[in-house]
Amino acid sequence: MMYDIGLTVFNGLAWAMATFLVAAGLTLIFGILHILNFAHGGFFMIGAYVSYTVMLAFGAGLPLWVFMIGAMAAAVVVGLLGWAVDMFVFRRLRDVEDAYSLIATYALLLVCGGAVQLIWGLNYLSVMPPPSLNSVVFIGDVFMPTYTIFVILSGVVAYIGLELLINRTQIGQLIRVVAVDPWMARLLGLNVTRIYLVTVIFSFAMAGVAGALLMPNQSLSPELGGIFLLQAFGVVIVGGMGSIRGAFLAALLLGMIESFGTYLFPQYPGIFFLLALAVILLVKPSGIMGKEQTA
Amino acid sequence: MTRIMEARAMHKSYGQVKVLEDVSFDLEEGEAHVVIGPNGAGKTTLFRCLSGETRINSGTIMLNGQDVTGLAGWQRVQRGIGRSFQVARIFQDMSAFENLIVAIETRERNEKGIWASFGHIAPRRAVMDEAERLVHELGLEGTLDDPAGTLSHGDKKRLELAMSLALRPKVLMLDEPTAGMSPSDRSEAVRLISDVRARYGLTLLLTEHDMEVVFGLATRLTVLHHGAIIASGEPHKVRADARVREVYLGQH
Amino acid sequence: MIDYRVRFRTNLVIAACGLAAFAVVPFVANSGLLFLAGLVAINIVFGLSWNFLFSGVGLLSFGHAMFFAGGAYGMALITRHVPEMPFLLALVLGAACGGLIALVFGVVALRRASGVYFAVLTLAFSELIHILITKTTFLGRNDGLTGIPRPVIELGFGTLNLTSATAYYYFIIIAMTLVAVMMWCFQNAPAGRLLQAIRQDQMRTAFLGTPIQGWQLTAFVISGTVAAFCGAVMVPFTQIASPEIAYWTVSTQPILFTLLGGAGHFWGPAVGAILFGAIDYGTRTMHGLSEITVGVLLLAVVLIIPGGLLGLLKRRRAAASKSTRAETAGERTSETEAGK
Repeated sequence: MMYDIGLTVFNGLAWAMATFLVAAGLTLIFGILHILNFAHGGFFMIGAYVSYTVMLAFGAGLPLWVFMIGAMAAAVVVGLLGWAVDMFVFRRLRDVEDAYSLIATYALLLVCGGAVQLIWGLNYLSVMPPPSLNSVVFIGDVFMPTYTIFVILSGVVAYIGLELLINRTQIGQLIRVVAVDPWMARLLGLNVTRIYLVTVIFSFAMAGVAGALLMPNQSLSPELGGIFLLQAFGVVIVGGMGSIRGAFLAALLLGMIESFGTYLFPQYPGIFFLLALAVILLVKPSGIMGKEQTA
Repeated sequence: MTRIMEARAMHKSYGQVKVLEDVSFDLEEGEAHVVIGPNGAGKTTLFRCLSGETRINSGTIMLNGQDVTGLAGWQRVQRGIGRSFQVARIFQDMSAFENLIVAIETRERNEKGIWASFGHIAPRRAVMDEAERLVHELGLEGTLDDPAGTLSHGDKKRLELAMSLALRPKVLMLDEPTAGMSPSDRSEAVRLISDVRARYGLTLLLTEHDMEVVFGLATRLTVLHHGAIIASGEPHKVRADARVREVYLGQH
Repeated sequence: MIDYRVRFRTNLVIAACGLAAFAVVPFVANSGLLFLAGLVAINIVFGLSWNFLFSGVGLLSFGHAMFFAGGAYGMALITRHVPEMPFLLALVLGAACGGLIALVFGVVALRRASGVYFAVLTLAFSELIHILITKTTFLGRNDGLTGIPRPVIELGFGTLNLTSATAYYYFIIIAMTLVAVMMWCFQNAPAGRLLQAIRQDQMRTAFLGTPIQGWQLTAFVISGTVAAFCGAVMVPFTQIASPEIAYWTVSTQPILFTLLGGAGHFWGPAVGAILFGAIDYGTRTMHGLSEITVGVLLLAVVLIIPGGLLGLLKRRRAAASKSTRAETAGERTSETEAGK
């Protein structure tokens, strides 16, 4: 019994941190630009494929540093794509109705999926974790793959890094000002367009890194974007759109619900997080860390 | 006179901010009751609470002897009120004529049930005729087919008034009906409103800033200050009231 | 003044032209294209059902697959377990499945959520149904329900054999035309005007004495029922109800159709569905090209031509008629009205 609970908590943590890695960039963009970015899943997927290509070039049985180079490459490539997307798409969505900008980012997701099919084909591809992450650790009786521990730690590091970035640095302060009141920020002489651009590039780079780090767990296919996207959407919304801390807590909450639900009803994986999402949204549409709207 | 609307001990706050405190308010049948007060006195909030746009935190509101405190705006409309908004709300992409058609059809639906127009696609002849009559009454002939969003400010206000009249309300509530109008449009609007009131035998409830409008229309005046009523009665008596003079003259 | 009669007649003619164009397909195309044309016909009405919500009452749904799949699986279950049920009644019951899903979901969701929240809630609920289908043995899990027969309809004076693909194709296009015309009538009738009013200004409509949520729910159920009807009609054509039709990419199909064709026009989704079918067919040998083409087109629509294809056409026609307005002032009204 203790064993089962330990394992279930561990699985929940793994789900939560993997999802948070994807959701972090998503919630950042929503917080600043108020765009719910469907394409995030697509760029996450491109990150995974880019890192796959890099690792393929180095051959099999790779040390950890090659894995990290793959992640860097994914960050750079997807970050540059983010720059293009902001220039050509997001910038023009400022005056567009919410429904239409949601649809525009969905169009981008389509383009991503199509591009991946054109470049990498339809076949499933897969990668083993680097050998140094391909073992197991026992804590008590609980069997823990080191790769999964690595993912959990990555999620925690990403969260702490983001909190520090937003709350302790100058660029973080600028981002916060722009998020609260872009009009006032412009009046104070801040280059709001530049801050938007930096945020988008950073958020996309995070999507790329997330893709690279989570790749060894998945078989790569052009549908990969959609799978993580829905989980990340759920986390962002339950967390209260735009709140990093909220997204982190929501990831933990939903991860535990999903993990315990699947433990109790193993025939229905993937359903409990959706149920929890629906219930939470209905009870408190603004999310656990969201402010209640006055209207 | 019968009392058509009766509100007792209304409290309303938004978060920590108390906007209305222990406000009681009456509306007698046939009167033209104007609520005035400095900016931030709570006029618009009072208006919202009475029309049902927001709920009050405590107190009661009676309409025609029925308790409507817990009823939403649309339910109060069905019980005989009609209202306008400070910035005229109309259906921007429809023509002015279609705006009126929607209003008339809504009234008919409420009177005769939702199946009354079943089987019809175009508006029925009687509905079209009524819309045309309203168009003539309010002088909207020239703008009939234009998308309502392109109408001038004054025409939008008149269209909204026409839509409210189409509901055949007992009480017509107008939130600053002349806001943003030029002085000449204003006196025009005052004439139109008092015409309409006489013709339909309406009870009027207005909030207003402009003194010309206030004394042109009001049969009763209520002064709101810091979320409380400090005077209410015939216009000339309120004008002479010491506290009212203090509030208005002392502050400006 | 609006001439409602001309408007009705014009749109009836459009529907009849569409039906005639589809009726010619079996004479000029092979069986593969015939199959595609049948699916396009179904997609047209699927798109109309979505746009009925989006442009008709102002609700953004990212979960229309749940209704489509509800209708399809309802129909498949009935044909497998109650084969003696008359075909048309089975279709109606299939459509009712979608309406029921819409009712249950709408009662809960419309009360709390709006805008983007509502969209994501539909997405989540639809995915829930997708997962349930793939995990339920009764619904065939990942394999779906296969071997659905096409019907032979007993009419009092004889039988109507729809077992061939061509015969069933004709049934599809006639049924879809009827539903499309019915939807047009509803949207242009008093109730449709009221829904349109709700989309344009909820507060104003409420203060005309209208229960907004009740009407939104009604529209949601109607939209779900029509989408489910599309799913139910499709099942005997493809002879399978598979879980892919509940996947969220299916939910986005009618969005694509509508935006490509033009959300502001009743027939926008029809134009979009045909265009989409053509792109899909034209790029079938290159994996990924159709997604890129459609994605880029969709982006272009949102960023550059918000009215979609029909919006573009209307704008050009308005510009053209401006120059000749003096002579043809009378005709212009009937022309611009056609799109409504």
